This record gives sequence, C-alpha cells and structure tokens, in this order.
Amino acid sequence: MKYALIAFVIVATFFSCKKDNVGYEPTPYELDIPSHFPDMIIPIDNPMTFEGVALGRKLFYEKQLSGDNTQACAACHSPQTAFSDGNQFSTGIDGLEGNRNSMALINLGWQNFFFWDGRAATLEEQILEPVIDPIEMHETWPNAVSKLYGSQEYRDMFYQAFGETGIDSVKVSKAIAQFLRTMISGNSKYDVIYKAENNLPLSASDQAMYATVSPEESAGYDLFKSLNGADCFHCHNGPLMQVQKFSNNGLDPVFSDNGRGDVTGNPSDNGKFKVPTLRNIAYSAPYMHDGRFATLDEVINHYSFGINISPTLDPLIEYAAQGGVQLGPFEADLVKKFLLTLSDESFINNPDFQEPQ
Amino acid sequence: MIKFENMKIANTILIAGCLALVLTSCKDDEIITCVPMDGSTLKLTVQPTFGAQDLHLDSIYTTAEGYKVQFTEIKFYIQDVKNGSSTIISDGLFDFRSRGTLLLEASGDPLDFIELQANLGVDSSINHDNPSEFPNSSWLNISNSNDMHWGWNPGYIFVKIEAKADTIADGNDIFDHNVVFHVGLDANMQTLDYANLNWLALGNDVHELQFGLDLATFLQGSTQSIDLQTEYSSHSAPGQEALTLKVMENFKEALTLL
Ligand code: HEC
Ligand code: HEC
Repeated sequence: MKYALIAFVIVATFFSCKKDNVGYEPTPYELDIPSHFPDMIIPIDNPMTFEGVALGRKLFYEKQLSGDNTQACAACHSPQTAFSDGNQFSTGIDGLEGNRNSMALINLGWQNFFFWDGRAATLEEQILEPVIDPIEMHETWPNAVSKLYGSQEYRDMFYQAFGETGIDSVKVSKAIAQFLRTMISGNSKYDVIYKAENNLPLSASDQAMYATVSPEESAGYDLFKSLNGADCFHCHNGPLMQVQKFSNNGLDPVFSDNGRGDVTGNPSDNGKFKVPTLRNIAYSAPYMHDGRFATLDEVINHYSFGINISPTLDPLIEYAAQGGVQLGPFEADLVKKFLLTLSDESFINNPDFQEPQ
Repeated sequence: MIKFENMKIANTILIAGCLALVLTSCKDDEIITCVPMDGSTLKLTVQPTFGAQDLHLDSIYTTAEGYKVQFTEIKFYIQDVKNGSSTIISDGLFDFRSRGTLLLEASGDPLDFIELQANLGVDSSINHDNPSEFPNSSWLNISNSNDMHWGWNPGYIFVKIEAKADTIADGNDIFDHNVVFHVGLDANMQTLDYANLNWLALGNDVHELQFGLDLATFLQGSTQSIDLQTEYSSHSAPGQEALTLKVMENFKEALTLL
C-alpha cells in the first residue's frame, strides 16, 4: 500500500513536472553582508537561493494570503515606514485592531527571537502566524495554499525554488524567510561611526560619509553612550543597534500587556518586551510595543523624565529614581540628531525589496 | 560570507558516509558503529549560591548589612582555558539567565586536565579585535557576546552583575535601588588557577567539573566587602577604579571548585 502510494506520488510528480515544464536549477544567493557585521547563520534546511528569494518577495506582497484577498504582509510592513506600519495599531482584514504596534523588519537574519514578546524562535515559525491570525490576515493555510496553487506562475516558482511540486505553508514560510534575510541595513552614518570607533577600515565611500557627520551628530552620539548623559547604549548598541534581550524600560507602573511574562508564565518577566533595533528609527514611528509615542521627541522625553518604577524595571534604567536621565532641551535635540544618523536610505529605497512588477 | 552550521554539516556527512559504508560493505560479520569521533566531552558548570542556598535570579536574599537584594543578571567570560600547553577551549561565556549553569562544553580527556588555568575576562591580545571576526562558534563573536561587548570602547565586559536592592530596612520591600557592575578593561583581567580537579563521570564519556559562585562571598569577601547602599555602580569608568577592581577580586574569590 505504502509503495503504491509512493509510486503514485512519483508518477504524479513526473507528470506535473512535464506539464509545468520548468526545471529545478537553484542558484545560490550570496548575501551582501556589511564588513562590520557577523556572519548570518542560515538554517541548514532553508538555504538561500535566487529562486527562493524571488518567490518570497512576491509572497510578501501577495494579498491572496489573506481571507478576503485584500491584505499582504506589506500592508502592515511597508517599505516607506522601514517595513512597519505608520498606524499605532494595524487593522486586520475584518477591521479588528490588535494591541501591539507592527515591528520594523530590519536585519532579521541576526535576531534570536521574534515578536515583541519573543514567542517565535525562528523566522520560519514566525511567518506561519500572521496568515491565520484572526485579527490580521485571517485565512486558513489550506485555503491560502490552494489559491496559490491555482496559479501556473506560482506552481512554477515553487518548483524552481524547492524542486518539488506541491505548495504548503512550510514552503511559503521558507520562501518569505529567505526574502526577509536579504533585508539588511548596514549603510547609515552610524555604520561609519561604528567602524571608525572600532578601528575597522573605512572604504572611500565610508570616508566620504564620515566626513558628513556633523558636530551635533557626534555630540549626540557622545550623549547616547555616556553614563551621565542619555545612557541609551546598554540596550541599543553594536552593529544591530540592539542587544538580544527582553527588558522593561519603564513605560508603566502596572502592566495592561504582560509581554514576555505571558509567554514564560514567570511574573519576573511581566512588562518586558524585546529590545528593538533603532536602525531607520526616523521612518518607523509610532514607537514602543503599543505605539504610544508618535515622535522621537516623546521617546526621549520618556527616558528623560517619564520613567515609571515597577518590580521588573531593568536596572540598566539607571536614573529611574530621578524619573530618568533628565536631558535638557538642547541635549535632547542632540540625541535626536544622532538617532537620525541611523537612517539608511539605500535600505528603504532598495529596489530589490519593493513590490515586484 | 555565508557559513552554514558547520557541525551539523560535518555530522550529516559523517552519517551519510557511514550509511554509504554500511550499504556497500559486503562482509556480514562486520559491525560498523556510526558514532562521531572525539567521543569524550568535558563540561564546566557553575552553580550560583547565596551562602548555603542555591541562588535563583529575581529571588530575594538578605546581605550581611541587612539589605534585600534580587540578582537579575550574572554573566562572565573565561578565556584561554587550559592545562599548561593543552587547551580545553579558547573561550566560554556564563550567562545564568539564558544558559543556566553551563559554562562551557568541549571535547577532551579529563586525564589531560588534572589542573586548569584560565583568564577571568579576555586577554588584551584579542580583547580589542573586531568582534564580528571571531569564528561563529566562539563566544567572542558579536552574535554570541551580545551585550557583553562594548562597541563604544571596544573590548569585552569580563564580569556583569546586575541586581535590584532594597537598602532601607523599613519593612516595605521596594527594590528601587539599581545595582550595576560591568567590569572590563585590560588592567582588570584576573587569572584563575585550580589544581586537583575532581571530574565527575556522568556516563557516555561525559565528564563534569563543578564550580560554585557564592554571591554572599562576592559581597562580603574575606578582605573587602561591597556595600550596596553606596557601592552599587561600576562601569569601569575613570574614577571608579577602586570599586571596579574590588568587583573582580571578590568575584574571583567567590568562584570556587566544588
Ligand atoms: C495586520 C497587520 C500585519 C500583517 C498583515 C502582518 N504583520 Fe507582521 N507584525 C505585525 C505586528 C502587530 C507585529 C508585532 C506583533 C506582536 O509582537 O505580537 C508583527 C511582527 C512581525 C515580525 C517580528 C519582527 C521582529 O523583529 O521580531 C515579523 C518577522 C513579521 N511581523 C513578518 C510578517 C510577515 C512575513 C507577514 C505576512 C505573512 C506579516 N508580518 C503580516 C503586524 C502585521
Ligand atoms: C534598559 C534597556 C534600555 C535602555 C537603557 C534604553 N532603551 Fe530604548 N528600548 C528598550 C526597550 C525594551 C524598548 C521596547 C519597549 C516596549 O515597547 O515595551 C525600547 C524602545 C525604544 C524605542 C522605540 C523603538 C521602536 O521601534 O518602537 C526608541 C526610539 C528607543 N528605545 C530609544 C532609546 C533611547 C534614545 C535611549 C536613551 C535615552 C534608550 N532607548 C535607552 C530598552 C532600552
């Protein structure tokens, strides 16, 4: 019986290949990793190929993945907002709003966990969620997959990417994950500041960019990393401009969203959320897990005067007892100028990340 | 450069090769075992305690001064772990919150390591190297060192202890006193040296060496103590040298063989 089934699958595969008449010759995709970044560890069961990335890109912009064919991933992760959503809360296809702000999708290949509460351990796992989430794309995987299967173009692209006929949620998530791993941002003014500071070689274009760093931006960076200044760097630093951890940065005295605590069940994790990257922060307003701050000025004001003490507050919010780091208006403005050096226009406008024509 | 998970590839090749061998081998009486070589594993573990009791992060302990303290992070680097000219491993990172009691795991024979020397911290010869260039398997690679590297003052944090304390004995448990010790800089590196190692055989050719890390000793050392009411912050910055060195010395005293 088993053998008959396998034989049938082989015959079916053979025939469907012939019919679709496309070959499986995947081309390895070499990631363009900035010189000051670590290697990206690629899961062994999802190697990067041109065919996979092209398919993932098309799927990222594919509205058929949603229940009423109106919403793609890009609806809540659009290029102009650093692949996040300019609204405080995103609206799903049924008009329902969640209680978390959409996250900017930047340098995901180096993240150790996904979502504000870190409930997904891998990108492949993360991508399975939004499609079936009732307040997001609200579709079933069998439906989504059968819609894709109805298209000859998708059948061909899936075959070219995976060398098998048939489409399933695992292949959809693998392809989108491949595309998301290409979305690397490492070409901002901050990057040349980082390289210079770490005594790494600067290319000619790096040097040209370094020459444009203004005295205010430098002074803002000094404050950003100064213990007696803004004291931001304990949580936001390094090539990714974030550390991989969950932290309570003093938003609330009591929590309406327990964040990490609801995932681990440990009350010591209540009110902790993933430390986000500050890359391209100028594009990704509003800010924090619930999008409570509309502007960077409001964010800096929070760290200056608005810190709320609670049992799980991160000890690295060192001036909590005084309400924050107490930056005056002039200093706050310098810190903001530094935050704007994290903008990477070559990332936001990269034609390879836009909707395929 | 893209690197795949090399170990996994190596093992896959091993298994595939082994399978091929099994399939092509014609002698019926030959037994082929597909076990990776280098079977012998050495493990170093560290159990944090507060005096006699095992320490749990976020739990409350009372110091000699009567303060209440909750530890939230305990992390440290050891590097160049060896016995004379035999090296166990180049580096290890202890991270109680993310990795529990495991300090390092490496292949090796316990008989080669009846003594052990290591740096508590990272030697100046590599402390300032580009943190992205260490091999992916190294804890010094920035992907693994995470918040144990200072990008703005390039080098590693050797010992990191974070806590919240209540230093006012008024009966109200309010832990609003932040305690942050981040110690690095070449001058503060310490060396560790242990003799008469007692490797525990765990079976399957795994041997474990157990250390204790007594945070009560860390605060109340044999020659110097750290009073959390006044000595609660060191980032190894200029002006903090005395507390910085005390943190390293007391930490070294607190880390003992079990
Ligand atoms: C209706 C809006 C919406 C849609 C559609 C949507 N997302 Fe999201 N996305 C969010 C929100 C909101 C979060 C944060 C949710 C949370 O933390 O609970 C998020 C988080 C993520 C993250 C985590 C990033 C990180 O740094 O941890 C990834 C990756 C992601 N989305 C990818 C996708 C992909 C791929 C799709 C399409 C299959 C998609 N999203 C569709 C709103 C959306
Ligand atoms: C103790 C760690 C810590 C420190 C120090 C810290 N942050 Fe944050 N930061 C976080 C966490 C955690 C979040 C997300 C919190 C949430 O949404 O609940 C965050 C969020 C942000 C955001 C919003 C990002 C987004 O995508 O929504 C900005 C902007 C920001 N921080 C800037 C700063 C600045 C500027 C400083 C210094 C004045 C600073 N941070 C200091 C941990 C920290």
